[in-house]
Amino acid sequence: MSKEVKLTIDGKEVTVPAGSLVVDAAKKVGIDIPIFCYHPKMEPAGMCRQCLVEIGRPAFDRATGEPVMEEGKQKINWGWKLETSCTNPVSEGMVVLTQSEKAKKGQNDILEFQLTSHPLDCPVCDKGGECLLQDMTLAHGSSESRYRFDEKRHAQKHVALGESIWLDRERCIACGRCVRFQSDLVGEAVLDFDMRGAKSEIVTTSEPGFDSVFSGNTTDICPVGALTTANFRFGARPWEMEATASICGECPVGCNTMLDTRRDAKSGGKVIVKRVMPRQNEAVNETWICDKGRFADFSNADRVLEPAIDGKAVEWTEAIGAAAEKLGAAKGDAVFLADGSLSNEDLYTMKVLADAAGAKAMLYSQVGGGALTTKSGSYGGSGAGDVILVIGGDLYKEAPIFWLRAKQAVDRGATLIVATEAETRLDAFATTVVRDLAQGLEAAKKAFAKAENTAVLYSGDDALAQSCADLNPKSLIGVWADANTQGAWEMGYEAIADLSALKGKTVYVAGGDLLVAGAVEAADFVVAQTASMTEASQKAGMTLPSQTVSERDGTFTSGERRVQRFFAAVQPMGEALPGFIITAQIAEKMGVTLEGVSAEVVFADLAEKVAGFAGLSYESLAVVDAEERLSIGGTCYENEQGLGAQLSAVSTN
Amino acid sequence: MLVELLRGLKTTFKMMIAKPVTIQYPEVKREVRPRYRGRHELKRYDNGLEKCIGCALCAAACPADAIFVEASENTDEERYSPGDRYASTYEINFLRCIYCGYCEDACPTEAIVLEHEYDVTFSTRLEAIFPKDKLIVPVPSNGKVTPQQTEPGTFTRSVPEMKDPTK
Amino acid sequence: MFYMLLRHRDVPDINQIDVYQKNGGFDALKKAIKMDTTDVTNEVKAAGLRGRGGAGFPAGVKWSFMDNNNWPHYVVANADESEPGTFKDREIMESNPFQFLEGISIASYAVGANAAYIYLRGEFWEVAHFLDEKIEEMEKAGFLGEKIQGTDYSLKIYTHLGAGAYICGEETALLESMEGKRGQPRVRPPFPPSQGLYNKPTVVNNVETLTSVPYIISNGADGYRKFGTEKSPGTKIFSLSGNVNNPGNYELPLGTTFRELIFTHGGGIPDGKSIKAIMPAGASSSLIVANDEALDTPMDYENVRNVGADLGSASVIVVDDSIGLDWLINKTMSFFEHESCGKCTPCREGAYWMHQLTKRIHAGEGTKEDVELLKDVATQVQGKTLCALGEFSTMAVVSSIERFPEDFEAKV
Repeated sequence: MSKEVKLTIDGKEVTVPAGSLVVDAAKKVGIDIPIFCYHPKMEPAGMCRQCLVEIGRPAFDRATGEPVMEEGKQKINWGWKLETSCTNPVSEGMVVLTQSEKAKKGQNDILEFQLTSHPLDCPVCDKGGECLLQDMTLAHGSSESRYRFDEKRHAQKHVALGESIWLDRERCIACGRCVRFQSDLVGEAVLDFDMRGAKSEIVTTSEPGFDSVFSGNTTDICPVGALTTANFRFGARPWEMEATASICGECPVGCNTMLDTRRDAKSGGKVIVKRVMPRQNEAVNETWICDKGRFADFSNADRVLEPAIDGKAVEWTEAIGAAAEKLGAAKGDAVFLADGSLSNEDLYTMKVLADAAGAKAMLYSQVGGGALTTKSGSYGGSGAGDVILVIGGDLYKEAPIFWLRAKQAVDRGATLIVATEAETRLDAFATTVVRDLAQGLEAAKKAFAKAENTAVLYSGDDALAQSCADLNPKSLIGVWADANTQGAWEMGYEAIADLSALKGKTVYVAGGDLLVAGAVEAADFVVAQTASMTEASQKAGMTLPSQTVSERDGTFTSGERRVQRFFAAVQPMGEALPGFIITAQIAEKMGVTLEGVSAEVVFADLAEKVAGFAGLSYESLAVVDAEERLSIGGTCYENEQGLGAQLSAVSTN
Repeated sequence: MLVELLRGLKTTFKMMIAKPVTIQYPEVKREVRPRYRGRHELKRYDNGLEKCIGCALCAAACPADAIFVEASENTDEERYSPGDRYASTYEINFLRCIYCGYCEDACPTEAIVLEHEYDVTFSTRLEAIFPKDKLIVPVPSNGKVTPQQTEPGTFTRSVPEMKDPTK
Repeated sequence: MFYMLLRHRDVPDINQIDVYQKNGGFDALKKAIKMDTTDVTNEVKAAGLRGRGGAGFPAGVKWSFMDNNNWPHYVVANADESEPGTFKDREIMESNPFQFLEGISIASYAVGANAAYIYLRGEFWEVAHFLDEKIEEMEKAGFLGEKIQGTDYSLKIYTHLGAGAYICGEETALLESMEGKRGQPRVRPPFPPSQGLYNKPTVVNNVETLTSVPYIISNGADGYRKFGTEKSPGTKIFSLSGNVNNPGNYELPLGTTFRELIFTHGGGIPDGKSIKAIMPAGASSSLIVANDEALDTPMDYENVRNVGADLGSASVIVVDDSIGLDWLINKTMSFFEHESCGKCTPCREGAYWMHQLTKRIHAGEGTKEDVELLKDVATQVQGKTLCALGEFSTMAVVSSIERFPEDFEAKV
């Protein structure tokens, strides 16, 4: 049991584990000490000096070790100067004053220094409204400046650090959060300070600039508007947007996001998604999202707006009827084909229909072995004594947050074995690197024998999956291509990797544009339930427009078998309907009655019938109890919409 | 009896010959005071560039949520305002506006000003929403029309240098 | 004139190893490596040798703080010498290098270090090459390298050059620079004797401090204490500069008065001017009003405090009455603004702000409020910085405005 320490902050008693910082202890009793360079997920730097407080420690006689008493109580030795609360660990009996005259003046003084050369950019700065410097100044600073306006330092204002991030050097307050995030937390030291003193500036040390898939996170943690995203530049003011919880659909990690939406004049007055922000979920993505998700395309290019038969627009009733007829007629030659971009509700409805109609339910996935993964769970939080094997693929490109978790596990002492044919960015952190998959499995076998918690992240075919499963890891995680491929495996979809096997079949394909195009090429007749179409996929016999993730409610199952909800943020485009509703209407016409209105009801049904989902409901997925809310001075959203839930283990049969 | 009659009609006859105070609106319009809060105008600088930088502080200050602002970036080939940012969309809904003038107070560049036009009329709800081209003042005589083509490097400050109002 | 440190003034060519050996050289080292390491540390502790780089922290106490559960240990000699007005370490390294190297060796032996480094400021590349040659000579003579003088103790000394930053004279910034990182101070605690170079226990001592060590070992604590005062024993090299006739290095016992240094040795003020102020610690000092009380103050770590300053590195700069202090503090602020590392807000922004104010005041464009503002800003920086640079940058400013108000009243 870790030692506990009792101290008093502003008259309130608080007990925290030994080694905690004073600033964290203060947060526990609801006292927010102003900070800039401190971030709870990084080592403290003590650079900005904003968190100055008065600290007194109980006096002990140097020679005898006895407490020195004064008026019946132990004397408190106050420091002769203010100390930074972010670099001071707590000690027994410590007394801290954060709001005394001296402390308040100290905090005010530091803010005055920060503001001396900070430009008067609030009206044009994207950070305005969610800016830590603004908040701190209102709470702890003065409204008048004693500094002469024309003596303010000037620096470059519009520097491109890579393609997605703009740097404004005048606004930078040299807190170092971005540099420390990149070099310490992520392990990709692509940012650094250049020059010294008042001329210090941030530069990127990589070519191409800011070469990191986590670059967007620095715009969240930057306390001022120095680092901003290029795709959102001047998009809207934070108070003008509405935030809706969602799940990123780019990869199987399932990062929790918030979609910020606003009415947009350029697109004719519709409410559109202006930006994607992270939502805190300590078990999945902590407070980060990668650039793939942050800069995902919500532009709705090539959207299918209305149902069509042979390229001609028709009414929904006609389209549904025609589809039901075709599929009914095909009988055993009908195939229901999906990919992992569909929600659990969509997949479940399709599977039930396929089973009822005697047709095949197939999942298109290049990565195989899904049935073997149903025993697994999250591998987050690995540390010393644990072993992780990453085999077959480039985790950095396929699932960046998984990559980050593996790197952080190594920081905490875990053993990481990387077995890939090509070089990857994980090599630098791995304990063992082999360029041959079989060797990798061998090495893992040896390491697993001595370890308690083991995890395998694989990217390969059924054979590889089986070899990995044979190692008997605690979690077996397939690095799928899509967000909800795991959901399809849970429901018993059959795998298909080569679409040419669809020759001669009537295919009801639901999924992304690439899948539809592939099906169109191979199959006899294709009913396509999809959101966007390009030239290739438009050749489908029948097109049924479906809604995207941002337009509806639903759930995804992440690669770690965690079910999480996403919510509708914008109105659907054209006549698009949610996938499960389309499928249910077709089912109706084919004589199978399925829920076709509420996603919640579909999920309730799914939870009863599919092993692993037992006991879950939309309500249980919306619970946010245990998570610690971080007062992080950043623009990551607190999670008030739901943490999701882990599926229970299912034995492989 | 005649005396009483005349005394009673004194006021009436006085009024018959007195000058009427009625102002013959709309042929003659009464002057408004200098600080009268009428319809808004978006001002320009003397060189023709718009003063509005698209910061949306007016929209934030408006108690009636009558203003809608969307900002975009200036380029040197297509420049609307000095600095980085300008208002690409600016609409005021005059059915919501209460002419309080908070937007004018909030504006950091003195771009939105409540001028003296009070006879704002429209016949549909849609006409009540004035877009930017109905609010912006015409280009002054020594200025150029926006968008302008400017030399790179001349307008680099994102908020233009303002003169100290207390001096 | 007895010279403990600047021995080349007695014995010319003492920077040649044979001359050094003939004059008692390496006797202390030979004696020390046969002693118990704790005995060596205790001897230095008993002698009361205080750090000569400016802080005045007792060297022996620092050595005893080394964490004996964390190995290896290192000794780093701080030869960064960038304080304006300080030029004593250079003379030691150029003219009496072997005593310095011997001091490093004894210190390394006492704390159990097998590798010692000399961090020199980047501008001292010639001195560094010279020291490299001297180290090689010492190795050839069997006083460095493997198994020194037939014992089990091995030591190698390396030189390391900085790149022109005053802040790298701060011990933790120095260690950061040696590790190849940006020269910015670390958060303390932990201090270098528990976590220093590469997070291993490290002793960082000034050149002059280490050069004093051989005498202590050869003549014992009592022998060392024959010089100086009780709380500040030993001799000190005073780097005298400014408005004096004979600027230069003067090795004198601690406790010598300012008057003796400036007028007897320094030859007084030239051109018939009178003395106005003294800066005892280079640009980082508070200015002392040069009245009789001050001039008769003994120069040691305690007594100088009584006249409102710190002895520091004893780089005594003399200011005569032709110097306007607005000009002087503009000079010091320009230096500190340039040298601030920029890590912490009060020093980075405060030094820049103070420099803007001193520039304005010196140009005659300042007002009375500006002078008050300058003093306020300087006071605001104090007590909030990450390291002493920010703190000391304010000393000259505050003391000048408080003690010499006429200079500023004349400028507004």
